[in-house]
Amino acid sequence: MRALKLSGQVVALAAVAGLLGLLVWRLTHRPAAPKIGGPAPGFTTRRIDGGSFDLASVRGKPVVINFWASWCGPCKTEAAELERQWQHYRGKGVVFLGIDYNDQTGDARRFLAHHNVTYPTLLDGSGAIGDRYGITGVPETYFIDRKGRIVGEHILGPITTSRWSEAFARGIQAALHS
Amino acid sequence: MILRSAAVVMAALAFAGPAAAACAHPHTSLAYLEGQIMCPTCNTTLDQSDAPAAQRIKVFIQKRIDECATADQIRSELVANFGTGILAAPPHEGFDLLAWWLPLGGISLAAAALAGGVWRWSRTRDGEEPPAGGTLDPADEQRLDELLARLD
Repeated sequence: MRALKLSGQVVALAAVAGLLGLLVWRLTHRPAAPKIGGPAPGFTTRRIDGGSFDLASVRGKPVVINFWASWCGPCKTEAAELERQWQHYRGKGVVFLGIDYNDQTGDARRFLAHHNVTYPTLLDGSGAIGDRYGITGVPETYFIDRKGRIVGEHILGPITTSRWSEAFARGIQAALHS
Repeated sequence: MILRSAAVVMAALAFAGPAAAACAHPHTSLAYLEGQIMCPTCNTTLDQSDAPAAQRIKVFIQKRIDECATADQIRSELVANFGTGILAAPPHEGFDLLAWWLPLGGISLAAAALAGGVWRWSRTRDGEEPPAGGTLDPADEQRLDELLARLD
């Protein structure tokens, strides 16, 4: 009887400790933005036009990653400017990647057609890539240099605003020249 | 004549369009599904959210309902797009089954432990010697009589 009671108490304590551990783990493993100068989180995902895409496949090239969604108002504001920047920098070897975050593919296709976006768009319906990059909303933009490191500034809004347009220009230069 | 025919065709198309878009016998409703689907950006169900992402999903669900899609079809399409995280409750398959069975197992174990404890307690009570009321030994009985006599 005493042994049974003791083992019951041990099991109850272990269950409570396990739940506490889970809580602590969850609180300490919240997605955080990657550090500037640190490695860009890798990912493999589907392209909106079919096939898969691995970030490692563009290693050695400067990369601009723009998180967006069709339901996001500011994303509409910056879409034309992003396309203009892509047309300007594509000849210099810069890769632009649009990542469609927590969105429906049909809506995304309509958005791309409406805004004449021609650079590659990748799907992140579950938001898993966004979580790895610690994004807090859309649009957000990162720059990756040829060595696969995050450079420049993490842009937390549309690149058309005065605050972020200069940061965008600096980010592309950092990706090109670092 | 040609003009009249064209007008008839256009009128027919104008009426046929909405009729084809709406489902005569819908298999499900937005109200049924919006409590089962999460808003991906706000971590609440669709019925509790007016976030832009939630609104787009509601529009999608209503469109599929109008196309006579079933609730299962709509859920599957949303899972294909957003992953299983879009469902408010985990699916009844694979690893996700644990989310259903672990609480049930825990409750069953707790109920079994409680029942076992009650059974053991009642058995112990049954096995106990009854209180010795009414069976005093002669010496105690005499002492009790003396005490009662003193009180009289």
